Amino acid sequence: MSFKDVIDEEEREAYMLCNEAIVRAALEADVQLVSFYPGAPQTEILDNFEKASNKYDLKIEVATNEKVALETVAGGAMLGKRSLTSMKSVGTNVASDALYTLAYTGLKGGCLCLIADDPHAHSSQSEQDGRWFGLTAYLPMLEPSTPREAMEMVKKGFELSEKFGTLVLIRTTTRVNHQSGIVPLGPMKRTPFEKVSWKNMKRPYTSVGELARKGKKEMLERMEEIREKMADSSLNRVEYFDGQKLTDEGGDEEKLGVITAGVAHSYTVEALSRLGSSAKILKLGVINPMPEDVIKKFCQGLDKVVVVEELSPYIEDVVRRLVKDVDVYGKRTDHFSEALEYGIPSVLLGLSEITGVEAPFDYKKHCREMKKHGEILPQRLPVFCAGCPHRATFWALRRAVGDPDKVFFSNDIGCYSMMCLPPVEWSDTLLCMGASMGVAAGVQYAAEEKTIAVIGDSTLFHAGLPGVVNLVHNQDDVTIFVLDNAVTAMTGQQSHPGNPKKAGGREGKKLDIRRVLEGLGVEKIYDISSYEVKDNVPVIKEALEHKGVSAVISHGECALYHYRNYRHDGGKLVPYFIDLETCESVHACVLNFMCPAISVMPDKDGKARIHQDICVGCGVCAKLCPKGAIKSTATIYGGENKPIYTVEDYEKYVEKKEVKE
Amino acid sequence: MKQTNIILCGIGGEGLVLLSNIIGETCRIAGENVISGEMHGLAQRSGSVIVHMRIGDEVLSPLIPPGEADVIVSLEVMEALRYIHYLKPGGTVITNKRLVHPPGETLDLVLRKIERYVEYEEVLEAIKSNDANVVEVNALSLAKKADEVRAQNVVLLGALSASLSGSIPMKSFLDAVEETVPKKAVESNVKAFELGADAYES
Ligand code: SF4
Ligand code: SF4
Repeated sequence: MSFKDVIDEEEREAYMLCNEAIVRAALEADVQLVSFYPGAPQTEILDNFEKASNKYDLKIEVATNEKVALETVAGGAMLGKRSLTSMKSVGTNVASDALYTLAYTGLKGGCLCLIADDPHAHSSQSEQDGRWFGLTAYLPMLEPSTPREAMEMVKKGFELSEKFGTLVLIRTTTRVNHQSGIVPLGPMKRTPFEKVSWKNMKRPYTSVGELARKGKKEMLERMEEIREKMADSSLNRVEYFDGQKLTDEGGDEEKLGVITAGVAHSYTVEALSRLGSSAKILKLGVINPMPEDVIKKFCQGLDKVVVVEELSPYIEDVVRRLVKDVDVYGKRTDHFSEALEYGIPSVLLGLSEITGVEAPFDYKKHCREMKKHGEILPQRLPVFCAGCPHRATFWALRRAVGDPDKVFFSNDIGCYSMMCLPPVEWSDTLLCMGASMGVAAGVQYAAEEKTIAVIGDSTLFHAGLPGVVNLVHNQDDVTIFVLDNAVTAMTGQQSHPGNPKKAGGREGKKLDIRRVLEGLGVEKIYDISSYEVKDNVPVIKEALEHKGVSAVISHGECALYHYRNYRHDGGKLVPYFIDLETCESVHACVLNFMCPAISVMPDKDGKARIHQDICVGCGVCAKLCPKGAIKSTATIYGGENKPIYTVEDYEKYVEKKEVKE
Repeated sequence: MKQTNIILCGIGGEGLVLLSNIIGETCRIAGENVISGEMHGLAQRSGSVIVHMRIGDEVLSPLIPPGEADVIVSLEVMEALRYIHYLKPGGTVITNKRLVHPPGETLDLVLRKIERYVEYEEVLEAIKSNDANVVEVNALSLAKKADEVRAQNVVLLGALSASLSGSIPMKSFLDAVEETVPKKAVESNVKAFELGADAYES
């Protein structure tokens, strides 16, 4: 599995991540325009398209947010271009304004929007179920279970979209997006991107009042037509599990039926196999419009039908509405949960209760017993990387604030969200992209304490700016902290409008955050360098004392991004070390800074230690050590004891030949 | 119904995904069906990471149920214990001879919330007390020997290949390593792989 399979022109089998397979399928389908905002679990789709855009004639944008991304691909589809966007579950909330109206206007070209849900909230703020977008927006929606199916549905999705002139949704979940498997690579037939004449295909994409009422009628008719035409789609399939293996036929006498979709299908089949139970299975691929006749027909002659799906009882309630003479089991009968992701054990347990077939293995007891021995283990939670600029900014912010109880800390979405997790647990609110600003507006009316709102650069552009405008216009009293680390760090360092590079590493226009805030009328703006920890404290204090809207922009590139570029350009990491003769085990480096490169040595009077393979040499811990015991290894080989902040700094170093092996 | 279930675990940013890619390629080359369930994103910031790999004609679920993993391969010993409930009774744990204290543990120690660090030997004992065959591999020293410090994961892959020699040909593993790692690093990675395989045997 690698990017080279995504663009390999040979037709063969490949081992691929589902997100890569989706890109491959879209390229095979000659997609011409794509736009995304990154977000787990779908970011690798953007990443692979960025790389592919260096080989194929393809328009690609890293959009400011999901709404802009959807509007962009819709614009291309109005001109007949095959186009695609994808977004994480909650990103669809942002895009939904455009989404709902696009269902009214319809589109000319094939246009796909992939919605990646995250049951279990592995990397999201909620377990939102994106299937309701399809239903409530009147848009067709397909749901794959595997990478192979995802490829098939991307291709069919484009055809469906063009045939019926509508946006088509594809719904995935984390366990589908991040599943790898063997997939077939089809022929890669690409056509060059060419402009077309709007005049020749002109028709209005407008919706308001009378136009909206007309659009709604057409939309309802379109959905009924799709329901009819898709009724015998091979994407919905009936299978028979005979207790050991899956077949396409048989089971005419079978009394147990299971209706399922998405990754829950795989858990169902494997749970049946462990129970040794037979069942007829209806695996739905088209989940909107629901194939009602297929469901009714499937249930004929059954005694029991079980609906297995993660999150809300979306399919189950349809089955309950359609089928009256068969007992329906699922979440409404408390056999399955509306929370968390499923797995073979949870599905097996539900099926065992419903069928009365005894579970062959007590998973819960097993886990309890096995985990007992693991009680000695400390947790291993995600933390800011070694050399992360955020850790340095928060050190200074915390010192400037003094007591955390003296402020209301409105946090936002990004790596800095980790502030709300143990052991730090410092955030008073964390809702969604850009919410730090809006919440702060309300809090500053009501709270006696000072309100601070923290937001990353990418998140500021994504959804923070309207909130800033609001604060300024209403003359609210809030100090804004913009963490400018140059990239969308949490998802893997994609570019954003504040970075000079746009999609695919090509030159874009960098928007200067200071000038943006000045333009919006923020009264006091302070620029600080994240790593100048001690110098930053008085500056932040001054900003906090300002009555009105003030802003502190903390500049420091994401350490992963920065040091990757730095090494790519030939730079050598210069880690720090603890001078054991000077270290007095006061542990300021651990207590106040907690860089993952630092641990202590119990056998050496608890003196600290810096792991040379983790430290990147940012030098901040050295500035904070009250004993001066932390030094750069550069001092050992005679170099200058100074950390390197940016690639430009590094280049200056090279020019002066100060970096030596 | 023959299937092989493998748990790969370790700490975010340690090359676990590369390891699972090589195993996936190995299966493709050997003509075996394979699926995996991975973790990307937030969990990668030095957090605990797990990848499920399943080999066999009838595997469908990207997640291995508890008690069904044939092998756990761990780049760090604490992580092997953290996911020990996935191991089947009598299964094999191939662990790197290495323990990394999480920053939170160091903080607790300094704050005296705990009396001492957890030690390698006690973690190993806890793994063994779960009815596991434990194979320890000093991946760092073997990787250094192969002149490729970053190939600790490939050393462990070598050890895994030896444990699976009955079902997947060693040659497929080697072909996959050659296809996956950068050209100039092939030789040293193959060496790292072989040293890992030898370490399993002895
Ligand atoms: S990815 Fe970058 S911004 Fe995020 S924690 Fe790591 S260094 Fe910090
Ligand atoms: S210099 Fe200090 S703070 Fe920076 S990465 Fe190294 S150990 Fe961590």
